[in-house]
Amino acid sequence: MTTKFDPRASQSISDWEHNAKLLCCRVDPTGTYVVAGSIDYTIQRWEIGTGKKTSLAAHDNWVRTLGFSPDGSALYSGAYDGRWIAWDITSAAPQPIRVVQAHAGWVRGLAVSHDGKQIATCGNDKRVKVWSTDDGQLLREIDGHSSIPYCLQFVPNTYDLVSGDIVGNIHQWRGEDGTLVRSLTASEIFFHIGDIAPFGGIIHLSFSPDGKKLTASGLHKCSNAPAGNRRAVALTFDWTTGEKRSKQECLKKDIDATMWRAVYHPDGTMIGNVAKEIGFWNPDVDDVFHLIETPSDIFDLDLHPNQIDLYTAHFDGHVRCHRLGSSA
Amino acid sequence: MNRYKPCGAIDHGIGRRQFMGEFLMGMGAIAGTSLFSHPLGATEVTQRGKSVVVVYLNGGVSQFESWDPKSDLETGGPFKSIPTSVPGIHISELLPYTAQQMHHMALIRSISTDLDDHGLANNIVRSGRTTRSATEYPELGSVVAKGLERADFPLPGHITTMVGGSGGRANNAAYLGPQYASVAIGAEKGGVVNTQLPDGMTVTADSRRHDWRRFVNGRHRSKVQSAEMDAYTQCYEQALRLMEKRELFDITREEESVQEAYSKTEFGKQMLLARRLVEAEVPFIEIQHGGWDFHHNNFEFHLHYVADFDRPFAHFIGDLHQRGLLERTLVIVMTEFGRTPKINAGYGRDHYPKAWSIALAGCGIQHGAVIGKTDPKGIEVTDRKVDHRHLFHTYLRAVGIDSSSEFDIAGRKFPIADPAFGPIKELLA
Repeated sequence: MTTKFDPRASQSISDWEHNAKLLCCRVDPTGTYVVAGSIDYTIQRWEIGTGKKTSLAAHDNWVRTLGFSPDGSALYSGAYDGRWIAWDITSAAPQPIRVVQAHAGWVRGLAVSHDGKQIATCGNDKRVKVWSTDDGQLLREIDGHSSIPYCLQFVPNTYDLVSGDIVGNIHQWRGEDGTLVRSLTASEIFFHIGDIAPFGGIIHLSFSPDGKKLTASGLHKCSNAPAGNRRAVALTFDWTTGEKRSKQECLKKDIDATMWRAVYHPDGTMIGNVAKEIGFWNPDVDDVFHLIETPSDIFDLDLHPNQIDLYTAHFDGHVRCHRLGSSA
Repeated sequence: MNRYKPCGAIDHGIGRRQFMGEFLMGMGAIAGTSLFSHPLGATEVTQRGKSVVVVYLNGGVSQFESWDPKSDLETGGPFKSIPTSVPGIHISELLPYTAQQMHHMALIRSISTDLDDHGLANNIVRSGRTTRSATEYPELGSVVAKGLERADFPLPGHITTMVGGSGGRANNAAYLGPQYASVAIGAEKGGVVNTQLPDGMTVTADSRRHDWRRFVNGRHRSKVQSAEMDAYTQCYEQALRLMEKRELFDITREEESVQEAYSKTEFGKQMLLARRLVEAEVPFIEIQHGGWDFHHNNFEFHLHYVADFDRPFAHFIGDLHQRGLLERTLVIVMTEFGRTPKINAGYGRDHYPKAWSIALAGCGIQHGAVIGKTDPKGIEVTDRKVDHRHLFHTYLRAVGIDSSSEFDIAGRKFPIADPAFGPIKELLA
């Protein structure tokens, strides 16, 4: 029996609860586990086949970002304690393999290279840092963002990095030496509040499956930032030319939201969170073509390797899974 | 228009403080009271040279992200607490510079009020009253300006520093009259804006036209008298005095290193101006730091906003101390309420008047004191609950104003502070 990707035919297939708010989630590349970072300083691991939950405790603040090695043997976590930790995620009771004090202030983003040999982190100290996963040594430190970088990704199949900051700058850094290759600007998804605090910026970056597009997600149409009046948005660039393509948002329904993450389905469909809803876009079409409503605000999402099951991490502490299609 | 007959007593020289700007906005508020009757009567306070500086964090700063952190608990948010210069007192890690000034400061962590509307809450914390009656009460700045008033003082006694402020009066003095209302003046290069003589106008010519104005005014006043007319007249005289003092407001006259130490942010500039005004013995100065109403994204915003506050504020306290000014200056970090222990789905905190905090520094208080406490999650006050009325008495007592006394306005007695309440005695030095 096969399942065809079709968000309109989605159904909820699992709902696992933790007793604290969740900020992030990832599914391991083997499809065995889903893990989620919490504001209670823990990482929760659920075994997808059984729903068995295991708690991973070593951070000393909110766990904000997660990434798996390509073979699924190691989990990397970044937290507001300024540290990244490597975990032996496949063991019965995962323990830290390595704990690295990485940034002064919060770790905001973490990415794993295509071969698993490097991880990159960014944090409140405005630095991008590249680390060896073998021994935890710092390989490169990049001091090129004028404001806090929120997120970063390795450019597919290279050690080049792309990072996005709180004021809407996107920089590409050369993998060999950390020099700046080029910059893109997404200033339209950044706002300055009262000359004191930036608001919005590049919350997440995703490459399309063919590597030809880079999508920055975040917020725009900010009318009252402290009150949270804004709209979720995904802004896509042609990665080859650096030119902006579509600005995609949820137009069919007014929802105050930040798009914390947008990911590409292998067929090119874009999937992003819009407050309590999961939105689906077709390439270069402005509006969502479908929304799935959930019980609580979503702060992260990730596709299972089967490319059909979508896991979401929620404000109410739940990890939920929707099967995006019907059995055929 | 109200007709009145001034008695001509010398005390009525207070009218000189009437100042150019929007002062007439206040005239409606004083209708029915005699603007220039005895201001203090038997309760006159003769404090000299003392100042009160309010740093008003408009919108409601989070007590969790400032003075009463609850680290490592779900209500506490992601920020840790740090030790201060007073052993045993910890505040948010967002305030590293202020933490080093704690030996000049005190905290009140047990404030409980019952209004969660910005406007209403703002009113009660500024007036020290719960205004459910028809009477409007003067704000702290007006009471202090009157209580610490000196006969020969050339500047307004109640100044709000404000970017671009050019002398406009607010309507916050109630029955005390507009001469005690706040005047908005900014820290500008060159001093107060619009106070230079126009091109082509010589000092001599300007003096002659003022002499003519005074002559005409006097002739008219001998026939018709009104509070409004006197207010106009005094407004001009106050403006002239302020023009003579315009350089006081020019912070670029400070050494570059001093400006840098205060930070060249808007808030830093206003704090530096406040120090200059304290040196000039202005009775009441308010600096506003606006926009703390973080229903959404509370932690991101506090990261930036508290940092913007921390260094200039801490330097201000240290600078006052080094210059010997802190012993005659009370500094209050005021706000209208706290923020909810519960973190909402936008990672914001909503309005919470039930348990919140303020900080004080300077004269008349026990340095290093912490008044009251909240439960481990910051939900309830568990010790020494106080409200805005206790605070109002405390502020006044700290600068030597007898808060149990009364204003005598045209023979009508107005208690300076709510007579059913008193100061936080254990906080007073």
